[in-house]
Amino acid sequence: MKRALAPAFMALSAIMLALPIIVVSGAALNGGRTMLFPPQDPTLARFAEFFITEPVWRVALWNSLIIAFGSAALAVLIAWPVAYLLWAKGSRLSKTLAALGSLPFALPPIVFGVGLGFFWSFAGVLGALPVAIVSHAALFMALPLVTISIGLQSIERAHLDAAATMGATEAVAFRTIILPQTLPYTASGFFFALVLSFNEFIVMFFVSASAYSTVTLQIFNSLRNGYTPTMAVAAITFIAVSIIVFSAVARWGDLPRLMGADETRS
Amino acid sequence: MSHSESLTLPAAPPSPAFNPARLLPALLTALILLLCVTPFLLVIAIAFGQKIEGAGWEWAFTFANFQRFFVGAGWPEDVTYLYLQRLWYSLYYAVIASLLAVLTAFPFTLCLTRLSRRAQSRWLVFILASLSLSEVFVVMGWDVLFSNRSGLPMVFRETGLTDWLKANGLFDLLREWGLASPRNVKFKTSAFATVMCMAYLVWPYAVILLYPALSRLDQSQIEAARTMGATPRQVLTTVILPAVRLPLTGAVLLLFVFLLGTYVAVTVFAEPAKQTTAISVYESVRGSTLNAPFGAAQAVILLVTAATFLGLGQLLMLRGRP
Repeated sequence: MKRALAPAFMALSAIMLALPIIVVSGAALNGGRTMLFPPQDPTLARFAEFFITEPVWRVALWNSLIIAFGSAALAVLIAWPVAYLLWAKGSRLSKTLAALGSLPFALPPIVFGVGLGFFWSFAGVLGALPVAIVSHAALFMALPLVTISIGLQSIERAHLDAAATMGATEAVAFRTIILPQTLPYTASGFFFALVLSFNEFIVMFFVSASAYSTVTLQIFNSLRNGYTPTMAVAAITFIAVSIIVFSAVARWGDLPRLMGADETRS
Repeated sequence: MSHSESLTLPAAPPSPAFNPARLLPALLTALILLLCVTPFLLVIAIAFGQKIEGAGWEWAFTFANFQRFFVGAGWPEDVTYLYLQRLWYSLYYAVIASLLAVLTAFPFTLCLTRLSRRAQSRWLVFILASLSLSEVFVVMGWDVLFSNRSGLPMVFRETGLTDWLKANGLFDLLREWGLASPRNVKFKTSAFATVMCMAYLVWPYAVILLYPALSRLDQSQIEAARTMGATPRQVLTTVILPAVRLPLTGAVLLLFVFLLGTYVAVTVFAEPAKQTTAISVYESVRGSTLNAPFGAAQAVILLVTAATFLGLGQLLMLRGRP
């Protein structure tokens, strides 16, 4: 009886976690314009609306993709040298940089969003799309910083010593040992930032200044007018992207280790 | 972890007078200060500014915005605690939701770490996918779940649960708590719905935060306690909980800070009279009132609250370390 308790509790937690997702996904199939669950007159027409026929959603999805890919790449580009300095030097400066770089992620996002709104407004570029990319890169830099740091710490010292003995310069050791061994961790950091940027709302809300919409902004703007099943298609798309990305990370990387599990245990 | 000792590579050739690599720390410092620190500094600086009636705002050094937050703009003739009340609700929702999330995520994560590595990977994919779901979608899902037409109230009505509650006198209790109308249960708008949605939002974060500590628990101590006849409850209270006391506290604090800024869930599920500081920050900066310095002052108070709790947490962690 007691042995069954743990799986039962895990199953219950999974159901609770999946419940709103299932409801939203089911609502996307509604034939009418109301978000009912279970769906009435099931149809896939809403998917066509979201991806093909309604430009407002297509544009919003395109903006979301540009911002997510751009900001994740930029976050990795900034986080890499910080993580490397932290690992190679461990100096006070590198520790401070890592701590300051993690601030936006550690503090309430609404404060950072408001601050960025002022910042870009002073710079005269509030509402420009590249600004959104830079803003999300600053917000999510902490994620690649953590995963790349884990990757750097997992490099075998013996490999570096062997390379040094054989006359490899720092640049060669970096290219042939450090970079390949940290690649999966860099990719994981990129994907974590990508997925969270894809879904982020509050910072985007302040830096977009209503000049453009991402999918989450588009849904929020429609909140007061009521939901439509087309919005639910967006939710399904987001969940599908997340599952594909994290499955890829799990397939090609060690997800439990990335999440902090002890690597010596299996 | 410093690897300066391990990087015993041959000395690099004599550097030229100008080495771009040497500029890297300076460039990184400038970039991080500009992107990650300046926005917070700007919020603090603007909080001391003042609004110009009928126009924008100007730089100044006045505490009027903070005074308005704590005692109202008309103080000392007229005192109002409206914004202080909003801060109270920010704390109230965030404390309950973060505790609820950690208390339920703890046994789940404990079970998760007992599974095989492959099973853990699959669960983690599921947890991470739900973690990445935007607050907007989560609120949309719960909104449908709480709706009268197709959500839980409909399930209560159709399954006869509402009638059963009425017959047993529990319905009146729900009405007292604001969770029922004269006809049926209702969850919107209520503190219950707000807290539920907020706890749901951070539940995957709670799992992710507790996972490293629980997966590194010393199994030999647990087995030794069991061999010596300890019941599962005794193992939990004397071995596991003391070992993860600090990560548990840390998780509650981090989730609490994150939840202080929750916006969409509060907008949709909280009664207007019980909304939070995050909502008034929005109202001041982007919404109807358009008073950037007052919005910034409220954001600073939110920031100070978050920093205070994080600082207290850090202090607890340092004291708790052997």
